[in-house]
Amino acid sequence: MKRALLVVGALLLGVGAVSAQQEIVKERQTLMKSNGRALGGTLSAMAKGDKPYDQAAVDAAFVVLEDTAKKLPSLFPDSTKGLKGEGDYSSSPKVWEDKAGFASHVEIFSKAVAETKGKVKDLDSLKANVGAIGKACGGCHETFRLKV
Amino acid sequence: MHVLKRLFILAVVAAVVGLGAFWWLTIPATVAASTLPAHTPDPGNGAVVFNAGGCASCHATPAQQDRLKLGGGLPLTSPFGTFYVPNISPDPVAGIGRWSEVDFVTALLKGTSPNGSHYFPAFPYTSYQQMKVEDARDLFAFLKTLPQVASKAPDHAVPFPFDIRRNLGIWKSLFLDGKPFVADTSKSPQWNRGSYLVNALGHCAECHSPRNALGGIVTAQRFAGGPNPDGEGWVPNITPKRLGDWSEKDIAYFLETGQTPDGDTAGGSMARVIRNTSQLSAEDRSAMALYLKSLPPVEGPPRPAKKG
Repeated sequence: MKRALLVVGALLLGVGAVSAQQEIVKERQTLMKSNGRALGGTLSAMAKGDKPYDQAAVDAAFVVLEDTAKKLPSLFPDSTKGLKGEGDYSSSPKVWEDKAGFASHVEIFSKAVAETKGKVKDLDSLKANVGAIGKACGGCHETFRLKV
Repeated sequence: MHVLKRLFILAVVAAVVGLGAFWWLTIPATVAASTLPAHTPDPGNGAVVFNAGGCASCHATPAQQDRLKLGGGLPLTSPFGTFYVPNISPDPVAGIGRWSEVDFVTALLKGTSPNGSHYFPAFPYTSYQQMKVEDARDLFAFLKTLPQVASKAPDHAVPFPFDIRRNLGIWKSLFLDGKPFVADTSKSPQWNRGSYLVNALGHCAECHSPRNALGGIVTAQRFAGGPNPDGEGWVPNITPKRLGDWSEKDIAYFLETGQTPDGDTAGGSMARVIRNTSQLSAEDRSAMALYLKSLPPVEGPPRPAKKG
């Protein structure tokens, strides 16, 4: 009986660990989605002329982008290698095979957000500078993201 | 005995006739230098053709930032083997420095190399065949201005029987129609420019369409997406079936920045494509968007169920 309980307990622990890893995958997907909304739904939408320029919304978008930049490095632990979430995309195994390369792309993104934030004061400066952020996103997605 | 001998002779004759027919049917087509009219090449227009044609997406030396260093070497995996993209820099040994203009036009429009053999259709001549001859000549003049890269690309790793280049003559007779681009006079000049950029130069359909067992594009599902021809993943449908809620402005903005309306960004090989389309004029990107929006909505092949 004791042994059975131990086995069940161990299994539960194992399941718990797996679902905790799945939670991390989910968390980074949610983060990327809100990041996309901040960039595409706010900043780029204004640059394209689909939405009027709104400084408060711009500030809020940068808060989200900075938050992403801050959290990204810790959201790809080894334990999540090979795990897939919902949706069209998954992380490429290269995230873990080339950790230095991946980290340098996260750094490029973080820098692009900080620099762009410093430059954007109005619609014209937004139009002129917002491209740098998308470029950083694409630079990383080129190698480290897979369409499934 | 007599009958057997006759049958044997008949078989030999049939084989010779068959081989002869195969040989004749698979002769690589070329463009004759005498058919090229007088033309002063314009490298400026050649640069536009270079960007629209996405040459650098495959031919730029991998793992470095300069898209004008066309040293080749990128591996393209396929069900038929691995192709290594050749060096098309003006280097006389490793690249195309010794090519004549007509060699270059023949390569793009006929898919035939200067030594008279068929190119594998990993090189998208099925699209480039629609290129205007002047554009091909201007592109050649532009490539001549780029830096020489001395590295030779590896040989293709393509197993038998796909390595027999002569067989590609049959493939071409099935999938290369030899038709030049013809403007549709019922449509606007902008639409026609878009169609030319998307179909002839941009060769979008080469990845954004499903392929049949022989590696030819499934015409009825052109632009409807399909399995990534180069490895893992799925290439999206770019007909209004999927892009219905994208405006023309959204498509043009995507081609400029790589950003989708919901803030996602192009990844994989599309990231390299965007580095080319971002160099085009705003008018050219709008023309491509206008053309793509005008396509009929086509259902693509079903995506396989996701694993784990």
